[in-house]
Amino acid sequence: MNKNNTQTNSFSLSNDKVSATILLVPALIFCTIFIFIPAIGTIVGSFYSYSLTSMNNWKWVGFGNYVKATQDEYFWVALKNNFIIVFASIVLQVGVGTILAAILDRGIKYGRVIFRTIIFTPMVISSVAVSLIWLIIYDPNVGILNAIFKSIGLSTPSKGWLGDPNISIWMIMITAAWQNTGFMMVLILAGLQGVSKEVYDAAEIDGATGVKAFWYITLPMIRNVLIVAILITTIGAFKVFEFIFVFTQGGPANATQVLGTYIYLQAFNLLHMGYANALSVILLIIALFLGWLQLKSSRKA
Amino acid sequence: MSRFKIANIIAYGFVTLFSIYVLMPILVMVLTTFKSKREIFLEPLGIPSQFGISSFEKALSVGLGSFMMNSFIVSFFAVFLIVTISGMAAYVLSRIDFKINKFVYLLIVAGFAIPPAAVLVPLYTMVSNLNLLNSLFGVIMPLTAFGIPFTVILFYAFFLDFPKEVEEAATIDGCTKLQIFFRIIVPLSGPVIASAAIFQTVWIWNEFLLALIMLTSDDFKTLPIGLLKLRGEWTSDWGAIMAGLTIAVIPVLIVFLIFQKYFVRSLAGLGK
Repeated sequence: MNKNNTQTNSFSLSNDKVSATILLVPALIFCTIFIFIPAIGTIVGSFYSYSLTSMNNWKWVGFGNYVKATQDEYFWVALKNNFIIVFASIVLQVGVGTILAAILDRGIKYGRVIFRTIIFTPMVISSVAVSLIWLIIYDPNVGILNAIFKSIGLSTPSKGWLGDPNISIWMIMITAAWQNTGFMMVLILAGLQGVSKEVYDAAEIDGATGVKAFWYITLPMIRNVLIVAILITTIGAFKVFEFIFVFTQGGPANATQVLGTYIYLQAFNLLHMGYANALSVILLIIALFLGWLQLKSSRKA
Repeated sequence: MSRFKIANIIAYGFVTLFSIYVLMPILVMVLTTFKSKREIFLEPLGIPSQFGISSFEKALSVGLGSFMMNSFIVSFFAVFLIVTISGMAAYVLSRIDFKINKFVYLLIVAGFAIPPAAVLVPLYTMVSNLNLLNSLFGVIMPLTAFGIPFTVILFYAFFLDFPKEVEEAATIDGCTKLQIFFRIIVPLSGPVIASAAIFQTVWIWNEFLLALIMLTSDDFKTLPIGLLKLRGEWTSDWGAIMAGLTIAVIPVLIVFLIFQKYFVRSLAGLGK
């Protein structure tokens, strides 16, 4: 924190403490009531069995809900899908985002702002709207994906693009990449624009130009930005909800569940509140771990 | 020279192809809106023969106007609260050497990491016990809370770089920290306030999960939840669904195009 300026400022301490408290307290109240107390509630609730309709009828089950999770095939499917989405998102969104940013930074002369604006656009559209737009593209009857495949003589999947979990998870990835790659591109582009021209001049004298210079000189220099990009993408991948909720509802047979949709299913469709809490705690631990990583990396940056 | 040209063609080719991938779904959405049912089924790749507006009428009949109004109210109040409360807290964290400040900052970062899905059940129970389910107030409050941590971090970074001389002069003149904040800091914080407001508006306008569990009555649904009703009502009438999406998406796109510089700037700052 900032230790210097308090000493340079001369002010009356008591007056200052009052002002500071007035300014700080609202934020703490909001976060405490709606984030921290519910977080504690999630942990406490995960040791009980109860349903929405019998709020006053809590039954202590100890670690029962966690044991249930380890034996629940669909929990592991959901967790596995989250990890697939993490890795695929890093490759598709951060990877392609980096290539796009590099091209916009130094690869092309004309149309930079136009390309940047177009590619960033999907970021401002709600994920539900994005999902519904892609739903018509993937539709087996009216979708243009089928139409394009047929027009060039390729066969289309018999259960549709969203009916077979092995295919639909990739369709979800393509849609997520459509929405988020532009964000990564802009983030990385800001990092690239911080690299000074002298660095490239020096590299050129050493014989490194184009892709070579990018790989060996530019990428290591924007390492911190890339770490932030990967962390944001990873955190986002654990928050995935809308695409799956709209595309497949987690089906068929729970094969496309992720933690978010599975928690929702357990809590609000099956009314297993205690079990949903236990799953939430697992998500909470993953989220706090990622948050801790982000804090560490941003301090370095 | 020729090698340079080939690299250039590849670079332009790549961004052009990616731009087509981005634009195509938006084009499909708009074109489908105007197509007749027959055209939608028979010519998925074709363009509409005439610009009919019957799809728009169907889409509006599910209450898109009221969903949009709800989204507007929720976004306005939540963003106002988030920016005000976060700015105040970040100022204290960046200026005053409380012993607990480090702890408070860690709490804020933890709050940033916690996703709504991880506290879903207790949050729902709490709002339900307060009798605030199906009220805009009941969504505005938790959404505000979830927007605060990120915004505090954003303001904190800005205030740390803020020149201290003006504040010192004001302190000598006998201003309290409260007066300094509202009379000096706020008027000079335009850019960061704009960034924070833009970022939070996009997030809250599009927020889905909390609105989904708390707003089940049509009177209070926000736009993202309302769009699902569109699909429920017009199951295979793609023209009506796409018309609804066009109504929901195009205004946001226009606002984005006008302010795109600020959008990009507010997000680009994240990596720093």
